[in-house]
Amino acid sequence: MSRGDGRQSGWQGAGLVAITYVYFLIFAQFAFLKRLASLGVADAHLKAVMAAMAIGGILFSLLAPRLSLWPSPTLRLRVGLLASDAAALLSLLPLGLAASVAVSFLIGCGLGLLTVTLATHLRQWTGNRNPLLLAGLGTGAGYLVCNLPPLFTASPDVQASAASLLCLAGICITLLPAPTPLKEAEILPQAAVPFLRVLACFAALVWLDSAAFCIIQNTPALKAGTWQGSVHLGTNGLLHLAAALVSAWLIRRRGLSFVLSAAFLALGFSCLLLLDPDRVLLASLFYPIGVSLYSVALVAYPSLLAPVSSAAERGRQAGWIYAIAGWSGSAMGIGMGQNLGHIPPTFVIAAGAVVLLPGLIRAFSHRTRELGLTAFVVLAAFYVDRVLLPVHGSPQLSQVERGRQVYISEGCIHCHSQYVRPNTADVLMWGPAETIQELRLQHPPLIGNRRQGPDLSQVGARRSALWLRAHFYDPPEVSGASIMPSYAYLFGDERGNDLVAYLEGLQKAGTVEHLVAEMSWRPSASAVAAADASDGERLFQRHCATCHSVDGRTRHAWQASFRRLPPDLRVGPFLDLPLSGPLALRMDRLAQIAKFGIPGTDMPGHEYLSDQQIASISVWLSQHIAQLGLNR
Amino acid sequence: MNLNTLDELAPPRQTPHVVASAAWHSLAWLVVANAIGVLVAILLLFPGLNKTLGEWTYGRWMTVHMNLELYGWTSLPLAGFLFKVYGADRGAAANWCRPVLWVWSVALGVGALSWLSGYSSGKLFLDWSGYARVLFPGALITLCLLLALSLIGSRSHSDNATVAAWAAKLIGLVILLVVPFLLYIASSPTNYPAVNPDTGGPTGASQLESSLAIVAILLILPFGLTRRKAGNSRTIAIGWIVLVAECALCVALGRADISHHRPAQYLSLGSLLVWLPLTPAYYAAFDWHSDTRRWRLAFLWWWAALVVTGWVFFLPGVLDHFKFTDGLVGHSFIAMAGFTSSLIIFVMVQLLGEGGWIFNRARSFYLWNGSVIAYVLLMTVAGWREGFDPTFTIVPGMARNLLYALRLLTGAFMFLASLDWFFDASTLLREPGPALVPKYVAQETTA
Repeated sequence: MSRGDGRQSGWQGAGLVAITYVYFLIFAQFAFLKRLASLGVADAHLKAVMAAMAIGGILFSLLAPRLSLWPSPTLRLRVGLLASDAAALLSLLPLGLAASVAVSFLIGCGLGLLTVTLATHLRQWTGNRNPLLLAGLGTGAGYLVCNLPPLFTASPDVQASAASLLCLAGICITLLPAPTPLKEAEILPQAAVPFLRVLACFAALVWLDSAAFCIIQNTPALKAGTWQGSVHLGTNGLLHLAAALVSAWLIRRRGLSFVLSAAFLALGFSCLLLLDPDRVLLASLFYPIGVSLYSVALVAYPSLLAPVSSAAERGRQAGWIYAIAGWSGSAMGIGMGQNLGHIPPTFVIAAGAVVLLPGLIRAFSHRTRELGLTAFVVLAAFYVDRVLLPVHGSPQLSQVERGRQVYISEGCIHCHSQYVRPNTADVLMWGPAETIQELRLQHPPLIGNRRQGPDLSQVGARRSALWLRAHFYDPPEVSGASIMPSYAYLFGDERGNDLVAYLEGLQKAGTVEHLVAEMSWRPSASAVAAADASDGERLFQRHCATCHSVDGRTRHAWQASFRRLPPDLRVGPFLDLPLSGPLALRMDRLAQIAKFGIPGTDMPGHEYLSDQQIASISVWLSQHIAQLGLNR
Repeated sequence: MNLNTLDELAPPRQTPHVVASAAWHSLAWLVVANAIGVLVAILLLFPGLNKTLGEWTYGRWMTVHMNLELYGWTSLPLAGFLFKVYGADRGAAANWCRPVLWVWSVALGVGALSWLSGYSSGKLFLDWSGYARVLFPGALITLCLLLALSLIGSRSHSDNATVAAWAAKLIGLVILLVVPFLLYIASSPTNYPAVNPDTGGPTGASQLESSLAIVAILLILPFGLTRRKAGNSRTIAIGWIVLVAECALCVALGRADISHHRPAQYLSLGSLLVWLPLTPAYYAAFDWHSDTRRWRLAFLWWWAALVVTGWVFFLPGVLDHFKFTDGLVGHSFIAMAGFTSSLIIFVMVQLLGEGGWIFNRARSFYLWNGSVIAYVLLMTVAGWREGFDPTFTIVPGMARNLLYALRLLTGAFMFLASLDWFFDASTLLREPGPALVPKYVAQETTA
């Protein structure tokens, strides 16, 4: 390979794209706003300052291809970088309102000139080899750098300085010999997409992105779930980079429409997830993917994909895209975020219609048989379901029956059996067993085939309603290391209480005999011999402390609801424990309580623990409680 | 009855994209179902992530995962098979095959959404409830109607068709027409099969019954896929005679709630072992496309593993140890991911002919089968431990988490293999038709 060939790699193009994105994201959208806040610019003044930036951006986006003062693209790019650099440095000064407006306007002008010039002539710096991949790499690298924790969490001054340095680096890049560009006519092969449709798609996506960004930025709970912590930031950065590279690959393989559709699905989904603070973690996964997917297209379309015949036409298209989709879309999105505080689902649907509908219409126009037959069957099934198979009014279900339906709906059967195998260890743990006749009275029997958790066929005899409710709210806290998900959402309506009522009712006659069997249970001699007090303490902390220590979380959360407040280990009283008499008797009783709980109270059993574990808890408890009892 | 091949009734011209479309739909559901499988495996390791899913927690996803594997991945290839058998992949009817596949997929998609929304009958693999309980059988009826129209069309076009073959197809169609109604009825919460009182699971008789239904499918399949070799009638006849004998045994056992400790139950289930030598011999009596060899062997090995482990896991003592544990999850995996998957891939390779290359990449073959073997071994170990100590799962420790992490890895590998097949199937749909015409069909056309 000759030296000249080495220059053809086109890293300059990727570098310039990355610099532009970093400047825009970390300085114009982020550090400058924080700087304005520290200068006391807020409310109407802030809007005026930001409007100046948008005006500058729109103005120079549209003017850039028409500027005859600097006919050379390289020169125009240097001027754009220089203006951006100057704006970043000026923002470090103690600015008044007028100066802030001026600097903001300068940022917009610099960015307008920089982005449109770079997009119009990108191939001058990427060369002939993989310009699309380089655009993807530059975009992904830009987002990755912005998400690096030292830069992301730095002060506005440091971020502005970094942006300034990067602009200088960009100017240096333009001083290097550039690769040979492709001829103007050489565009990457793509299915023709009308310019106005592309413009509308970009506007919808930028609008969504900006609104989501603004809402996350201004909502502490959302911000905490998306952009806080080094791990999270690093993950975001890597997701951005990976999605950007995938975007470049997909644009080549599947075309621009596919990538814009995929970007909308990811971005729109994350916007809907942001409506629920509990799902913000999931939203933080889809948001960077959607943003990077369309960001690469935003660079690639005007520079590499647009079917234009001249650089001037390319420039004009780039100008309109950045002016309308970029600056105006962004302003509208921020306005929506500030005014509404959320993205209405109807807006997401409307954006989806803009991005997806043309493609769907085109796809379905070749699938009339598929559409027609599917519609016919769907409607026919609807008719059969609603008319031919009428349910004469919904049957009035009891609370227990409704609770059973909740049990079925939530798929509890995938983790819990409801079948005690007779004559096995099941009987003591989960019993007593039911007869087949009793089982067949259930419609359907919910036997299940897997136990990720305990059998529940007699759970009503083993757990109080309070315990069940508390456990549904926070399983790992109430039942040490439980892998069950929280079902707190069921208590937002009646489903939670219905489910508790159903489970409470899961107990059969004959439970008294079973209680007798529990009372006669003792840990085996070998288990007692192998018991270890330190192990018992660990198990106590894991399974019992949440109720039996004074600062236990379950104890605090449900303090007013306990039938009898669980005794604090250091205080008591221990009504169900013989505090006098032989130690062996006390230990046996402790073991029984730990294993099977105390009937008629909120104290649950831990039937699934081994004899040795129960004996260990018993040993540790007996040392502490016995001491207390003797002292008294 | 001269059942050389059921294909005799059809005109020679075939629309290859029909079978490829069935494969594509099937693989699309496999990718989705496997992705959900990976999700639920992650949730078992990191249950805190359930919080990010709102109401769509582990239990709801499990319902979706299991049903998509059954009604999407393993069932749709049989639609492709039926298209070919009934000649729906040729002539005017071929234009309606893809719409029928879309109806199936849409109905399944509606089912998935209904399960995620909490609609379920509470019966595993028969979770159809509400509107979806009507729509999905409706999709099956649509398929049957297309097959019926094709059958009627083939009667008018094929003068030399044998009455016996046509009648066999008609009987098959009648049986198929019953399936949607059976599915609707079986999904009712009021019907429940016989219960083994010692485990709460199926009885030996009901396991034998369902296994014999699979055996019947295994015996029928070759007639719709290829021609039999000359001079192998005896092997084929033996296969059918044994099936009839076992069906009689099954009828004699009845459908009572009987324990697996009864010798009649486990001994009669053991009668399935006769299929260990019989199935390979039966399949050797037919002429297969050379590209099917790899998956034909795989399915026969998995079938052998399924029959043997199915019986061993049912034996007194063994079932008592493994019931409700991961051990039986591993066994179910042999059935679905091992045997059924390799069988339907083998069927699709045969149907696709030259297009069967999409399943024959060595990387995806070994990735899939290796992962299934590893999964089964991991779950057997987990089930063995759990059989002694339920705490192993209920209070997860390092050993359980390690096994589950490895299981997640095998699930991810299987997901990758399914993606590989799916991408190749998409390529197949974009390629021109002649590449998909099975070799023997092409030879016939040339002659």
